[in-house]
Amino acid sequence: MRTRGLFNSATLFGVVPVGTAFGHWISKLIALPQLRRLAVGEVPWTPLRKPLSDSTVVLISTGGVHLRSDRPFNLNGDPTYRVIPRGAEAADLAISHQAYDRTDALRDINLVFPIERLRELEAEHVIGRLAEDHYGFGLMGSARRLMPAMKEVARRISESGVDLALLVPA
Amino acid sequence: MTTVALALVKEVADAAHAPRFLYLHWPFGHALGEPGNVAQQRTVLHDMLSMATSAPRPGLVIELPYRWRRETYSPVRDWQTPSQAVVSALGGPMSEPVTSRRAVRGGQGGS
Repeated sequence: MRTRGLFNSATLFGVVPVGTAFGHWISKLIALPQLRRLAVGEVPWTPLRKPLSDSTVVLISTGGVHLRSDRPFNLNGDPTYRVIPRGAEAADLAISHQAYDRTDALRDINLVFPIERLRELEAEHVIGRLAEDHYGFGLMGSARRLMPAMKEVARRISESGVDLALLVPA
Repeated sequence: MTTVALALVKEVADAAHAPRFLYLHWPFGHALGEPGNVAQQRTVLHDMLSMATSAPRPGLVIELPYRWRRETYSPVRDWQTPSQAVVSALGGPMSEPVTSRRAVRGGQGGS
């Protein structure tokens, strides 16, 4: 399968030091044809219906973040998600992802999963409330295979009364 | 539900046709900036929240103006006011054109 072949070359990231230029090139190579096929029609649009200070916020990261006690992501591609509770401390979190340089994110998880910053904003009443559960995704080259997990996360989030979702890539 | 996404690859953001994107020309693994730079991380979050409240229409990909490791970030003073970066990218303070676009959209059944 073409995508899979390309994707395996991304595992080079874990072994070979690569600059962002190569990373960008690989990302575009993998993502653009799929996005052109999938992202068709009207762009969805839901305006924020409440002030931020009344809104419930959820965080979704594709940086391979998960609870240390949880199952790691498959580094070669993983179409599943992990739930990260709102109270998770940096020491409770791990990263299973090999397509980016994790050195800095391991020092400060907020670079890919800004949960500490959002807890501050909740305490300062900038946002109303942090959702109970937040979500981590790993590396996945096939958007089609990722779709069931994304739909399930979307369903969980809408059922939990979230107003605003913040999406953070790696 | 309202969504705001960060992007580190401009072409991917453009192709994704998501409701609201903020693009940063920063290295992978650093969507919120540099480790330990709380002011920088809060600046990016302020921009995301500003995008949530202020983007006037779907599909915008706004490029944030911050150069990698060459900026000094001041603490965010006023979280209630949309960030300077987002306001400038949207074409100045919220004014007539945005209001009227909202009004047109409202007339079509949105809010």
